Amino acid sequence: MGRKLYVFVRSAVLFAVLLVFAVACTRGGKDIEVDLPSGEKAVLKYNETLRIMISSEPPSLDWHRATDTTSNLITVNLMEGLAEYDLSDKDLKLIPALAEKWEASDNARKWKITVRQDVVWSDGVPFTVQHVVDGWKRLLSKETASEYAYFLFGIKNAKAFNEGKKSWDEVGVKISGPNELTVELEKSMSYFPYLLTHHSTYPIRLDVVEKGGDRWTEPGNIVTLGPFTLKVWQHDRLIVLERNEKYYGQKPQIKHIAAYMIQEQATAINLFDSGKLDSVHDLPSVELRRLRQRKEFRETSRLSIYYYGFNVAKPPLDNPLVRKAIAMAIDRQQIVQMLAGGQLPLTGWIPAGMFGYEANRGVTFDPEKARELLKQAGYGPGTKLPKLEIRFNTNEDHQRIAENIQAQLKQNLGIEVELKNEEWKVYLNSLKSKTQQIFRLGWQADYPDPDNFMSVMLSYSENNHTNWKNAKYDELVNKAAGTLDRDERLRLYSEAQKILVEDDVPVVPLYSTVKHVLINPRVENYPLNVMEVFSYKGVRLKD
Amino acid sequence: MTLGKILGWGCVLISLAGIALDLADLDLPRGYGWLLLGWGVAAASYAVVRGHMVAYVTKRLLEAAFVVFMIATLTFVLLRFLPGGPFDAEKALPPEIKANIEAKYGLDKPLGEQYLDYLMGLARGDLGESYKYIGRPVADIIAETLPVSFQLGVYSLLLAFLVGIPIGVLAASRHNSVVDNALMIFAISGVALPSFIVGPLLVMVFSFGIPFSALTGLLPPALWESPVYYIMPVITLGLRPAAIIARLTRSSMLEVIQADFVRTARAKGVAWPVILYKHVLKNSLIPVLTISGPLVAGILSGSFIVEIVFGIPGMGKHLVQSVTNRDYPLILGMTLVFSTMLVIANLIVDLLYTVVDPRIKLG
Repeated sequence: MGRKLYVFVRSAVLFAVLLVFAVACTRGGKDIEVDLPSGEKAVLKYNETLRIMISSEPPSLDWHRATDTTSNLITVNLMEGLAEYDLSDKDLKLIPALAEKWEASDNARKWKITVRQDVVWSDGVPFTVQHVVDGWKRLLSKETASEYAYFLFGIKNAKAFNEGKKSWDEVGVKISGPNELTVELEKSMSYFPYLLTHHSTYPIRLDVVEKGGDRWTEPGNIVTLGPFTLKVWQHDRLIVLERNEKYYGQKPQIKHIAAYMIQEQATAINLFDSGKLDSVHDLPSVELRRLRQRKEFRETSRLSIYYYGFNVAKPPLDNPLVRKAIAMAIDRQQIVQMLAGGQLPLTGWIPAGMFGYEANRGVTFDPEKARELLKQAGYGPGTKLPKLEIRFNTNEDHQRIAENIQAQLKQNLGIEVELKNEEWKVYLNSLKSKTQQIFRLGWQADYPDPDNFMSVMLSYSENNHTNWKNAKYDELVNKAAGTLDRDERLRLYSEAQKILVEDDVPVVPLYSTVKHVLINPRVENYPLNVMEVFSYKGVRLKD
Repeated sequence: MTLGKILGWGCVLISLAGIALDLADLDLPRGYGWLLLGWGVAAASYAVVRGHMVAYVTKRLLEAAFVVFMIATLTFVLLRFLPGGPFDAEKALPPEIKANIEAKYGLDKPLGEQYLDYLMGLARGDLGESYKYIGRPVADIIAETLPVSFQLGVYSLLLAFLVGIPIGVLAASRHNSVVDNALMIFAISGVALPSFIVGPLLVMVFSFGIPFSALTGLLPPALWESPVYYIMPVITLGLRPAAIIARLTRSSMLEVIQADFVRTARAKGVAWPVILYKHVLKNSLIPVLTISGPLVAGILSGSFIVEIVFGIPGMGKHLVQSVTNRDYPLILGMTLVFSTMLVIANLIVDLLYTVVDPRIKLG
């Protein structure tokens, strides 16, 4: 028996040693070996490769059809627009990219854009102004069915073309010179050049799309002109970008970007900790207190707001006094402290960091005055306000915020509030059918101009879920959009904001959001900015 | 040796060779997979013909096709009752743009017509294009993710059966001893511990060396790149079925051990291990087989949690997220794959009953 046991233990130990040895052998260096579409293998050198996470498989690399941030993160590195943000500038000044210059005339109703002539696509074909027109036509045409087609609805007859009611010849886009484009708008749009940074307005090579069909965005088919090219796309797994040696601008220092598709942040943090990732985006909010202590931690404010809205068609919320009382009984500081994410409390509608932001706009926390207002509205100790309902989509953070507000309203106004959470798409459906009383939502900037925020609350906007309509507000916002004079615009927006967040109060802005990331110290010049443009062409890696 | 035995052993050998090749990371698994499938079908057909079960299997396959068709139909209809559509997003779309999109995907047609279009597509083997992953055929998504889930699933099942059954046998043969109790504590914790606890715990110990710092960096915490990446996900996914199988095997063995034929065998002087493995075990496998059908289908089609925790590019994630996205074609594709696998796994289990217990007659 003893001998048998000895033999058993000996073989077990031997097996364990072999296993550990085998495991140790397969642990290679820090370089990444990837399979190319051609079947060959390529090695991405550690000191030339930025390794990032993206939260999912990009829904589409077709920049005219994609709508999400993941796809955008990839396409912004593959392509370039006529204009781009200067990421080295704190205010994200707009600078020409594929365009050489642009100028407005007729009070910002006509724009003349001159494009560069020294740009070539990754297959060597020279870039021309025709590619821009092709891109816009493709974006707007009914057959493409792009969600972002409305981005160019400001152009004369563009909307009618999208609906199939007008032909392309009638749309206000004309080639007016060998490298010049004239754009005629429906009405004055002072912020038009901002739209030229957006992926939906990038140029396109129709011959490439035609040739590749549904698979034109696959490596080998896709042709781009940005700082990187698409080298590998292993679906649901990994995307590899390679420096575009034909890029017209300053070529990136890094040779490759490896973007791993990791959905769970905890998993991404594990990979970061084991040295396989250089950055992790969107850290889990419940772990912020702990992660904040780390030297790799960075945060950046975003042009994005978190707000509560009232359905003004539902009594007692049809009374502005009640709405104002509720807005006044919420201490935003308390919510922000609970979240511990460095969010900025917000009382106005335009977030900090954007033109038009006013720190003192909106109702501030004043429980005494809130009770007074409620009394004025006819609700006192005798007639209690009926029970209200806060609805939100199922999510830990939304839950925490709703619970906090529930407690605050109970304490400060004695109002009973019921919480109701719904799955995201169900929630969107309830918002559309306007069955909610109080709801949560957010808004994130498509372009850093107040128009992008203010037009959300226009009486005819699909994104206004409050049933609130104010003709004066509509007039002010539309007028401001067409005004070039900055001071005048500022004044108009200020007046409109006053109606929105002080007089009528259909919405209660709570805070502007913050992005939290971990970045490996070997990465220099990581693009962190309020618009979340993750263009990696300026990134440098330390040895 | 009979032809059946040759076929059976051939399958086993090829499987082992295939697993060895897969682990050695040679680019052969795909071809080998087809070969194995061929062998499997050949062996199954042989068994069916020999056992005079042709009529039975044909009938079952026809039934299965009908069941899958009904599932597809029901899913198609039920999906339209789910509140919220595929193109609802935080930023609401202008109505004219929504109309363009619905026209593009044929969502503006009457439901009956959409259903017919879908069936016509299915008949051509076309599962449609995903709404979320714009322009990507559902068949491509399945073809790219199912093999990964399958790979993870096969190893987890191997672990489950190779560990679960011996543990069950051992526990039953030492009924009420310390060994039995220890093994059953292990099995009960295996059943009780959810994979979102087991996974991160394994990562903590084997990737970050807490609390045994010697283990730091032994295994990569996530991704699916080479065999060393498989270890933790396979243990995480296989632990629970292993525990279930161990418990079932044990209780079933304990029942059979009481049977008269076991006493007779002992009285005849047959060696105890022979009685245990040849007679008792074989007769105890019926309950294990019964649960194997759904277990195999469930594990092979991917586990959402294990795939998320370890960042594995499998199908489980799509199985869940397609519903959240209201990605109708992808949901239907996933449902079809899953139900087909379930139906086939159950059919195979029924056929195996006759092997384990010759008294069972099918048909």
